[in-house]
Amino acid sequence: MRLLELDGVNFNYGSLEPWIFRDLTLCIESGSCHCISGPTGSGKSTLLRLLSGLQSRPFEGGVYRRRGLLCGLVMQDPQVQLLRQTVGAEVAFALENTAVTRDDMIPRVQKALRRVGLFVALDSPIGNLSLGQKYRLMIAAQLVSEPAVLLLDEPWAQLDNSGVDELLAVIRALRAEGMAVVMSEHNPDAFKGVADHFWQLQSGRLLPGQFDCDHHVMLTDFSPEMPTVFTTDPFEFRYQGSNTLFSSPQPLAVQRRELVTLIGDNGSGKSSLLKAIAGIQSNVYPLPMKVFGQRPKAGVFGQQLGLLMQRPNRQLFEATVEEELSFSLRRFGLPIDMASELLEQLGLAALAQRSPHTLSYGQQHLVALASLACYRPSLLLLDDPLAGLDSAHLDKLWMMINSLRKDGCSVIISCHRSLPLAATQEWQLVKGELLVNNMCRENRRVG
Amino acid sequence: MWAKRRQPLQSKISSVNDASGLWLAASAMLMVTLLSSAAFLAPQSALLYLALTNVLLLVHGLLCRGNIGGILRYIVLQLGFTLLLYVVIHGGQQLHQGAWAVARLLLALLPGWWLTVVIKPQWIGEVLAKIMPVKWAFVVAASINLLPYMTSELRDIYQLQLLRGARIAPRQLLNPLNWYELAYCVIFPLFVQLLKLAQQTATAARSRHFGSHPQPTHWRDPRSHQ
Amino acid sequence: MTTANDKTGFQLQDALFIGFCATLLVALKSMLRLKLGLSGHSMLLMSFFYLICYGSVGRKGAITACGALAGAVATILGVGKGGPLIFLKFFVPALAMDMALILLGTLLILRWRLVVVALIGCLAWSAKGLLEDLLVGMSQQVALVRFGLKFLQGGLFSVVGALLVLPVLRRLKAHDLLHKETLIK
Repeated sequence: MRLLELDGVNFNYGSLEPWIFRDLTLCIESGSCHCISGPTGSGKSTLLRLLSGLQSRPFEGGVYRRRGLLCGLVMQDPQVQLLRQTVGAEVAFALENTAVTRDDMIPRVQKALRRVGLFVALDSPIGNLSLGQKYRLMIAAQLVSEPAVLLLDEPWAQLDNSGVDELLAVIRALRAEGMAVVMSEHNPDAFKGVADHFWQLQSGRLLPGQFDCDHHVMLTDFSPEMPTVFTTDPFEFRYQGSNTLFSSPQPLAVQRRELVTLIGDNGSGKSSLLKAIAGIQSNVYPLPMKVFGQRPKAGVFGQQLGLLMQRPNRQLFEATVEEELSFSLRRFGLPIDMASELLEQLGLAALAQRSPHTLSYGQQHLVALASLACYRPSLLLLDDPLAGLDSAHLDKLWMMINSLRKDGCSVIISCHRSLPLAATQEWQLVKGELLVNNMCRENRRVG
Repeated sequence: MWAKRRQPLQSKISSVNDASGLWLAASAMLMVTLLSSAAFLAPQSALLYLALTNVLLLVHGLLCRGNIGGILRYIVLQLGFTLLLYVVIHGGQQLHQGAWAVARLLLALLPGWWLTVVIKPQWIGEVLAKIMPVKWAFVVAASINLLPYMTSELRDIYQLQLLRGARIAPRQLLNPLNWYELAYCVIFPLFVQLLKLAQQTATAARSRHFGSHPQPTHWRDPRSHQ
Repeated sequence: MTTANDKTGFQLQDALFIGFCATLLVALKSMLRLKLGLSGHSMLLMSFFYLICYGSVGRKGAITACGALAGAVATILGVGKGGPLIFLKFFVPALAMDMALILLGTLLILRWRLVVVALIGCLAWSAKGLLEDLLVGMSQQVALVRFGLKFLQGGLFSVVGALLVLPVLRRLKAHDLLHKETLIK
């Protein structure tokens, strides 16, 4: 049964702006599952908003909706979508807004939670759920209005492997009930088992198939060298007033030019560990860490250390990309030319005079990283730098890492999945323990 | 247009489970407003009764483990400062007038302190939500809900820029010239995030039919039915 | 759906932004409480956040809304000395600033308009103190001196707050983040 159809839709953000969609056509039948991939900034999220009917800007072309069709849209960041504090209240929000009586709410809320396999008490606080459970809660909060189409915006990047498995099971069950599912996704491979239509959105057009950009840059293999930049004795990572988050039964050491990957599920303590190494994690019991031979403390390492946090576009503030890069160079008294050199090297020179805030997500991500890489830190900490990056942008990321390591920089990358990287060490956070694998070093193709 | 209907505020939630609690909170707020106003308006002769009432509130508040330290420090400072002004201006002849005035200030503050100690924030929130339009009640609730997120954004951005060499370490901020750096590097990106957050939260709420019905109902966690 | 053509009230997105500003204002005020007896520091935060709201939302009434929400949030969270009086502390300057904006229109260039409006907010805040002092029975001279000192200290902080607003607004505008017609050209 045909539920929703886009017929020759054209859309842009203003008459002078480039087209986001050109003559876009898509038909959604009940029980189907569509997976839309495309480079960052190609308009995948905008397409989902258009399908959901929440796009308030005008567009050209036809949109056919089955009478009374409801779409449920689950956006990317759970933190901005969870509006209440208990599971029941969260799911019931949509029912309140459609004036369902209080007595009718409970069975409907319970049914929605059952459909996503979330068996928790209605008054349990949302804060206690894992990220995977929160994601399913967001789906339940949409299912409670009985939509016929469910729209999911990039679920893979924010979930760890167990979260993805749970989501796959939910999608299968919903499809069996006849619901249509449309998702935008960077990594369509993860949904091969459930999706039956794969699309790629590129230059405003929607074509069958998966978007796949071949990438060419490989991580270069460097051998660790003395001196050691980071050391720690065995430790227990504990927030003040709470239990141990994880412990490291063995000492850790990172030498010059090493590449360390730090792998763990959401909430296992990866970001906190990186922040502790940078000396900015507060409320933790003292850790026996030494960075460049001294105890980490905010700001003491100056240009020696760089930290890229999650959603790095948060740190952008200058008027142009070039100024963004040269900010730290000026503050650390380094030659300003290093900024334009790096932009040239990365093939981003064309963006030099653009405002960082008008760039696509992937470009912003790279600019934020370049603003750290340009001052050539000796230790670079990257917290989940791959989130939301497509392969073209990944190439530039690897280029920067290669060039930095060539100059003697050590890099620690955190991620919630194991990476096929030429890492010298892999630190794994499993069940509250930090385990160390020394990797055999060989040049491998990455991606 | 937004319907001017009432919806309970889900702030700091675990909603008030019984109507009597809500009434209690509302009465307490009304009483506190009256008592505070009385401290300014009551004639001198009624002050003793007002003081006695306040002593009761003080004892109750202290029994409920309220900390009166902040108020006392403030009052002592005010007393010292006011009396100093009286000495300078009136030559120490009307000191008692100054002391009475500060005593009235104390009487104006005590009921508010008692309210904060005795009545839970969410109860006050629910009472306020009853008198607020539905949209603004939602806004207050969402804002309080997102406060931890906003403060962690602020902290993250501050730390990121500090590591990038911005002159915003506490010691450097003693120099007001560096406040501009703080505005550029931290406050500006923070507002960028807040604008985005407002947009996303609004979309999230609208995607769940917020504002589509003039008379929304409200959820109560099942335990409240027991 | 509501919001898009909501002519009589604020769009949900703007209302949320105002709410976030108000909540952050209250939270920062409670965090940065200076225990030095240096009154007036709260005017820095108030003038800054109120004027940012006005500049970003670009509508009269935004400041009053922000003041009322800040007052409500402060009452709920029990910030400061607590109670209903705290509501007035946030609301009175906000109302005065909005009224000043209506009276001023586009008289001065934006920078000085913001400063004047912030000073009027501070005046209202100090006047509230004066009224309280007179009501509790202080002599006129003492109350006026207290008022004067309060206004001076608060005024200094308000001006700093107002001066920090423009660079932030200009950047938001330059980066195309204010999608509405606002004061910044």
